[in-house]
Amino acid sequence: MSAAKEESEAADPGSKAELDRAFEELYRAHLRDVYSYSYYRVGNHHDAEDLTEQAFLQAYRHFERARRESDGRPLRPWLIRIAHNLASNYHRDRARRPEAALEAVEPPADPHRTEQIVEGREELRLVMQRLERLSDDRREALIMRFALGMSNREIARALGRTDGATKVLIHRAIKQLEEEMSGT
Amino acid sequence: MSEETGHLQLEALLSDALRPIEPPEDLVSRVESTLTAITEQAAAELSSWAEELSEGEREALRDPRNWVRPVAAVAVGTVAGGALVLVGMRRRRRPTGLRATAENVLKTVRPD
Repeated sequence: MSAAKEESEAADPGSKAELDRAFEELYRAHLRDVYSYSYYRVGNHHDAEDLTEQAFLQAYRHFERARRESDGRPLRPWLIRIAHNLASNYHRDRARRPEAALEAVEPPADPHRTEQIVEGREELRLVMQRLERLSDDRREALIMRFALGMSNREIARALGRTDGATKVLIHRAIKQLEEEMSGT
Repeated sequence: MSEETGHLQLEALLSDALRPIEPPEDLVSRVESTLTAITEQAAAELSSWAEELSEGEREALRDPRNWVRPVAAVAVGTVAGGALVLVGMRRRRRPTGLRATAENVLKTVRPD
């Protein structure tokens, strides 16, 4: 392909080359977000890697449509929503599938033992333990807020809630966590 | 301590506890190569199919009832991509520890 043709294809917002370039940009910008979210949801690097890979493959398949429908809004909430759904499927599948006896010799990573992520400071360990006592939606919202630095609006889009409901969800999550912490 | 101060302290603690996790370096190249493999596979399927077409067949393709084959080619690309992921996952999930040892012993005792 000539350089001029390549250039004109890359500039055309609907071309395959431009789409791939935009996806690569999205991928590079948010790989850490998707990986962090997956990691805090499953609690181990191995499954977090698989979930991240699956999330980006799924995103790639639907990227053109997502971009068209996003109307110029950032696509991070959409990406995190994909990772969120995959993590939910992961937990559902694990709950359904009994471990074979021989496989049980190697203890599977507990998806919610996120306290192992923190080393050293007792206070941090305590926070992670108390996070486990929150409902899934409260914990997920806090992961999005604090690990990924997402705004209320972004979290709302990722969780498919209204902005108001998300604000309440986060407020209640922090309040419950505070109560849990003071009760120790 | 005021309620607001307590809130701020907890938020600071949460920020510290829930730090972003850097993905392993090989994950970047792994995802990129999988995506490349998918697109190349789909493109190869479509291009080999297009080369086979006669003028009459190209004409017939304007009828949507004849669109099954290109759709199938894209599906093959998608399945191939999925297969690549599965192969990758299985490769990395090779049993280790006691399970692997047990399998190795069995292979040695019963080679067939």
